[in-house]
Amino acid sequence: MNFVATPAPAVEVRDLAKTFQAGWPRRHRQPALRGVSFEVPAGTIFGILGPNGAGKTTLLSILATLLLPDRGQARVLGLDVVRDADRIRERINMAAGGTSFLWSLSVSEVLDIAARSYGLAGRERRPRILGLLQRFGLADHAEIPYNELSTGLKQRLALAKAFVNEPELLILDEPTVGLDPDIAARIRADIAALRRTRRITILLSTHYMREAEQLCDEIVFLRAGAILARGDADSLKRQTLTGDRITMSVEGDTSGLLRLPGVLGGRAEGGRTECVVDDAGKRLPELLRYLIEQGASVSDVRVAEPDLESVFIELTR
Amino acid sequence: MTAAGRHLTKTSAFFLRSWRMTRRNTMTVFEVVFWPVVSLLSVGLMTSFLRLGEAATLFVLTGTVAFSVVQVCQLDVTYAVLFDMWAKSVKHQFLAPVYPWQMALGAWLMGVLRAVAVFALMTVVSQWAFGLSFLRPGWGAVVVFLLGLVLSAAAVGLLVSALLLLFGVHAEVTAWSGVSLMLLLCGIYYPVSLLPGPLAAVAGGIPLTYFLEAFRAEFGFPPVFPHPLARGFTLGVVYLAAAYLAFKGAIGRSRRTGMLLKLSD
Repeated sequence: MNFVATPAPAVEVRDLAKTFQAGWPRRHRQPALRGVSFEVPAGTIFGILGPNGAGKTTLLSILATLLLPDRGQARVLGLDVVRDADRIRERINMAAGGTSFLWSLSVSEVLDIAARSYGLAGRERRPRILGLLQRFGLADHAEIPYNELSTGLKQRLALAKAFVNEPELLILDEPTVGLDPDIAARIRADIAALRRTRRITILLSTHYMREAEQLCDEIVFLRAGAILARGDADSLKRQTLTGDRITMSVEGDTSGLLRLPGVLGGRAEGGRTECVVDDAGKRLPELLRYLIEQGASVSDVRVAEPDLESVFIELTR
Repeated sequence: MTAAGRHLTKTSAFFLRSWRMTRRNTMTVFEVVFWPVVSLLSVGLMTSFLRLGEAATLFVLTGTVAFSVVQVCQLDVTYAVLFDMWAKSVKHQFLAPVYPWQMALGAWLMGVLRAVAVFALMTVVSQWAFGLSFLRPGWGAVVVFLLGLVLSAAAVGLLVSALLLLFGVHAEVTAWSGVSLMLLLCGIYYPVSLLPGPLAAVAGGIPLTYFLEAFRAEFGFPPVFPHPLARGFTLGVVYLAAAYLAFKGAIGRSRRTGMLLKLSD
């Protein structure tokens, strides 16, 4: 009999909790994570979404070995984040929005110092740096000091630096925050391309729903340090009853629409009727049939699929 | 690549980044040239005004040299974390798989280089301005003196770095004040026998006291404490080990409290 081995998850988190303490002489406690558990399959892009203060950066920092948890366990690439932190650091890397480097170092020097920090010898280091400069469009700016770079170039340098050790797991903490839309789009395209070409696992925290929808295979929503929902974009929309939206102009009685199967909610205002349904393709003919049977006249029918933005608003309400 | 080669490469990261920052920042000119020369000239001119003899002038100027060398070298050790604090890139530094000793050693080697540069410059200026040379006791004594100074600087720099990681950049002023207090107690411009009893006892716990005593003995000032070099190096090594443990412990604690992240915000 042949057994097909299931690849081990890249990240396993069990009941992870962290509380920060601040203030003197009276210390106050600020819980940041309250028992979070999930797994990230290897080779996927895993999104971590949530409002400010949800615990996204705390969670990513624990996985990046920058922060120690108070309780629970986290394993990255099969290694424990507390006991095996040194070995994990060799195999992961991180880029965050608003990252900065030493102001006087040039682009190539930032990469050179980073490569040396990972123990890369000269033979290996030089072609690696040249490759990163090319791949991230930094070759023409290689000798420019960091503090003279534009915001977009700084962010690309942060991404390039995150690839200096060819990580198996890449942690991206709001990598497009504060960037102009065209630069953010380019960074997103870079991330998507990296996933296609290298099959690495990416943990992505972001505020931008479109970014998560575009890039992530799976998403968790965090709020106040706990997971509110988890799944791919479509299943999250279903979980939050954030279904397809059908709007139409109706002359006649619409009061029975809410009782029809698959209709999650609705309202009528100024001659326009809006229904939220689980699946517009399936429910639209049923709705139209019902209204015609009621003697109503229907025109200007529009269907809109929900986006993660709606899910986010629903979950954080 | 061998394990030793990887250690060397990682250590070189911290040496090189200090070297590159040093080359490009105007504050380097102040740290390595301006302040040491200003200190030497002002103290030297004061000794001329007070009509101190050659030996007494060398006694005082030796303190000025020790002060400048220790300051510049310990500052370089502190730069292992201070540069990142100023740049708000601390978390990226600690994300890399480097050991605390690699950070400290790389930065300290740069500090040694700058310390030697400061000593050489002060020797030249002293010869030119006052006709006095710190090389008079011979190369052996000079090398031992410099070794003692950079050893002391390593311990001080690591301790200051630990304080910075524990309490953030607010600790900077406290840390520098502590360094100045140490210099006051170790008899920088006077023999420690002048200090009141309890303070003299504290001076006996500072390695720099002994290195100054040993070097000044070469100019004819008998040491207050016996076997100053043996005591100085023993204490220096003990303090260096303790400061390294404090630095390592501070990194661990800042990972627990979240200070590493706060320092990057």
